[in-house]
Amino acid sequence: MAHELYFEDVTIGDEMPKLVKGPLQKLQHVVYAGASGDFNPLHTDDDFAKAVGMKDGVIAHGMLIMGFAGQAITAWVPKKYLKKFGVRFAGMTKPGNTITVTGKVTDKKQEAGQNLVFCELTVTDEAGDVKITGNFTAALPSKA
Amino acid sequence: MADHSKVGKEYPAMTWEVERGKIAEMAKAIGDTNPIYLNRDAAIEEGYKDTPAPPTFLTVPMMWNSSMPAVLGDLAINFMMVLHGEEEYEYYQEIYPGDIITGAAKVAAIEEKTSKSGRKMDMVTVEILYKNQRGENVAKARSLLVERK
Repeated sequence: MAHELYFEDVTIGDEMPKLVKGPLQKLQHVVYAGASGDFNPLHTDDDFAKAVGMKDGVIAHGMLIMGFAGQAITAWVPKKYLKKFGVRFAGMTKPGNTITVTGKVTDKKQEAGQNLVFCELTVTDEAGDVKITGNFTAALPSKA
Repeated sequence: MADHSKVGKEYPAMTWEVERGKIAEMAKAIGDTNPIYLNRDAAIEEGYKDTPAPPTFLTVPMMWNSSMPAVLGDLAINFMMVLHGEEEYEYYQEIYPGDIITGAAKVAAIEEKTSKSGRKMDMVTVEILYKNQRGENVAKARSLLVERK
């Protein structure tokens, strides 16, 4: 049976199921570079990264971390209901970091025939340092 | 520094043909095991026509087509000094294997700001509206790039 989420089942303040990823490996940067087409050596070449000021070497693609957030969202809200998804990149992610995606419902309303649910999300590492803050909007079906 | 005279400039549309394998590759690179991205039958079971593109898939045409690097080059932005500040997507319909997606980039804004440490930065907003082979809007991407000066 299809995974479903109804407007009536969502309440302001509800938390999105948490997603934990990691510890992250450098290899994932290489795989993501090939998948995305972003071959900036800042993400794959430690010598290059150090030369441009990253003392510990490579950092993860911001879009990979946004991808983790997208994974968390669409594990909860079916992809077909996702209408808007935006993030602000707040901090760099390094190999070895364990990443946690959390989110919660901030508002819900019916507008122009749509049942809209508004959520915020935060992505942090094991030390609690924020990597991404963001928000997303979903248009959910109604039981009515 | 970014060429402020180019605010409002639109760039030629770039085309990308979406393959099922690339959708699965993107999901696997993220480590997303949701079967809708990996398996056509599972996707159909969940109400899709085929495996839909995951939420951040549009980075693929943006980077593999070099549409964003081309814009940065035209704006005379030093790519090595660019940080990705924000990314936002609006979704109008699913992207499926076989779709031919066309994206036209536009420089929406360039603003100079000063960081807390007193460093000057150009905040460059690039929007790309994506259409499919039927001429329908599928999504809009808005990227905020920060060029440190």
